[in-house]
Amino acid sequence: MSVLAPLCVAVPLIAAALLLPFSKVMPRWLSATIASLATLTVIGLSVTLALYTAFNGTAVHWMGGWAPHHGLAIGISFSVDPVGAGLAAFIALLVFAATMYTWQGFDTTGTMFHSLLMAFLAAMCGYALTGDIFNMFVWFELMTAAAIALTAHKIEEAESIEGAINLAVTNTIAGFMVLLGIALIYGRTDALNLAQLGQIVAQRPADALVLASFGLIVTGYFVKGAVAPFHFWLDDAHAVAPTPICVLFSGIMVQVALYGVARIYWTVFSPSLASHTHEIKALFVGVGVATALIGAIMAFAQRHLKRLLAFSTVSHSGMFVAALGLFNAAGAAAAAIFIVAHGLIKSALFICAGTYLNRFRSLDEEVLGGRGKECRVNSALFLIGGLALAGIPPFAISAAKMMYDAALKEHGLFAIAVVMGFVTAIDAGAVLRSGIHITWGIGKAQKTGFSPREEETECEEERWEHTPWPALWAPLLLIAIAIFVGTNGTFWNAISSAAHAFVNRDLYVAAVLNGVHRVIWVYSPHRVTLEDIGVNLAVTAAAVIAAFVGLFRDHIPQMLSPVFGPPLKSLRALHSGIFTDYVAYMVFGIAAYSAWLVLGAK
Amino acid sequence: MSWTLYFPYAVAFWLFFIGCFGVAHSRNLIHTILSLTVVQSSTYILLLSIGFHAKAGAPIFSPANPPGSPSVDPIVQALTLTDIVVGATVTALLLTLTIQIHRRRGTIDPRDLRPMRG
Repeated sequence: MSVLAPLCVAVPLIAAALLLPFSKVMPRWLSATIASLATLTVIGLSVTLALYTAFNGTAVHWMGGWAPHHGLAIGISFSVDPVGAGLAAFIALLVFAATMYTWQGFDTTGTMFHSLLMAFLAAMCGYALTGDIFNMFVWFELMTAAAIALTAHKIEEAESIEGAINLAVTNTIAGFMVLLGIALIYGRTDALNLAQLGQIVAQRPADALVLASFGLIVTGYFVKGAVAPFHFWLDDAHAVAPTPICVLFSGIMVQVALYGVARIYWTVFSPSLASHTHEIKALFVGVGVATALIGAIMAFAQRHLKRLLAFSTVSHSGMFVAALGLFNAAGAAAAAIFIVAHGLIKSALFICAGTYLNRFRSLDEEVLGGRGKECRVNSALFLIGGLALAGIPPFAISAAKMMYDAALKEHGLFAIAVVMGFVTAIDAGAVLRSGIHITWGIGKAQKTGFSPREEETECEEERWEHTPWPALWAPLLLIAIAIFVGTNGTFWNAISSAAHAFVNRDLYVAAVLNGVHRVIWVYSPHRVTLEDIGVNLAVTAAAVIAAFVGLFRDHIPQMLSPVFGPPLKSLRALHSGIFTDYVAYMVFGIAAYSAWLVLGAK
Repeated sequence: MSWTLYFPYAVAFWLFFIGCFGVAHSRNLIHTILSLTVVQSSTYILLLSIGFHAKAGAPIFSPANPPGSPSVDPIVQALTLTDIVVGATVTALLLTLTIQIHRRRGTIDPRDLRPMRG
């Protein structure tokens, strides 16, 4: 059964290779169909793998049959557990939604786009399934290369290229940081297999070298994971990328990088860093809160729809890091279900924003004001997405927030849960504000934030007179799945159980090195109490209030603007759009993270 | 003697940060791309120095140099090779983008290229 794992990567790669030679002659519908079929195959394969591994324990496939010799890994493995396979399935689902959007309307200039998309899918699936730290780096780099090319896909638009350059420079340095970390840990252990590495590293407590390696790998992945102060590339790239690519960037690529941090922590570093858990927890939760706040505040100050949604992704990234930073099964489970919930809703929102762009050739809240009535269904979906983002039941984020708050409270971090509730309200408030203004034209649009250069047409894609059906069905499908996830207790239990297996290092090592496949089932049924629902409804109400405060801000007393004005202005100035600044912040971030780890270790 | 063992690490550290410094101070995209190559060189140095053994030959075995005789670690060399390929891909992509941005904007100074700010 484990042979299915490499197929998850091979199928999209073969599809990419098949599409490429015919890029000039193949009609768009045909290439979209081939890409969709390949994606559906990956969904089938990875769901099968997820179910198989849930009942039979971690599945391991050794490439070329180079199985371990006396418990010593010599080959490269795909080590698949339910979390990895589930992630691959979710990646493929979002890629499917993105390809749906390209069936009609979206100008893909030949089939090159689908070819790149398939390479991107293969890279993310490989990253999710691999059991080898260097192999992980290679998939990471393939992901970056495909992401650069996809961002710059509209090669005639200068802004797309600028966004792609920002992404390329920052993420390339990130890749080198990860590689330096891998080199250091390899120097200590002579191993690259995650299970083997973990076994050797666990033999003694962490010293400076292990800490340095951990710090480099974490900061490297945090760049792609958009964690402060490494998140700056994200909002530039997301705002200019083609809509289907925004879906994948925001919906899953950022989260896949965070999955990498969790995977490496739990398999390699968890035992030897046991004595440093306190500092690392504080670091993760601290940067999580900072990222969430920065993202939410910046989102609220935007008028460019895609950029607004991108900052909202930054704030969610902060929430995921804080949950992973609890370093227990409950935190991992909360992060997993939150990633699924957020991916579904944010993807739907991005597709709706893309429809506005294609209908009205603008993403500017002010230009769009009141025009949403011309495409009612899309506007309705956008508003529903905004409410779902705030955590209104029965959508998935409501369930995720319940598990999230429970995990934080269990840890005694009630204050963090309150801050995250506030962040969610601001974040969803920004989406609702622009949704309300676009649909009904009431209130005043956001004046601050990026506005398109006037001399340029913002969108060179073909203009839609009517919204084509796939552009409506894709968000509908995603929102329907979000309702299913939000109401299905069995699904929550399955994720929770998978997370318990994910954090269990012994299980992983035994399966990979010794071929002993064990299964653990942990039932931790989360009862939905009236209190939970009340909290979610309160956050939603706060989001709606924030939206109206944003719309009618001229009618409320301005006494707070001297307090919040100057810091907001400097925060906005930091997001300068110039990658040289971003690299300077990155170096500062590396210094700050390592100072914290070193001082904490003392 | 022992300090020489740490020398490659110091070089790798230096190359990484001087490369980042180069990117952060860059006023020309070609300069940026070359600075990125400097950052990448730090990974080559680190990888190769980790696999190095004093008085060991290349990991190619022949009658003069039979299997089991001391050799440097071939794995890090494979890793370095992969790293070079990865670096070449990104450099090629970035150079393409540079040509294209020059066509569209007529400049390759990063400070004049900002997709959006604030």
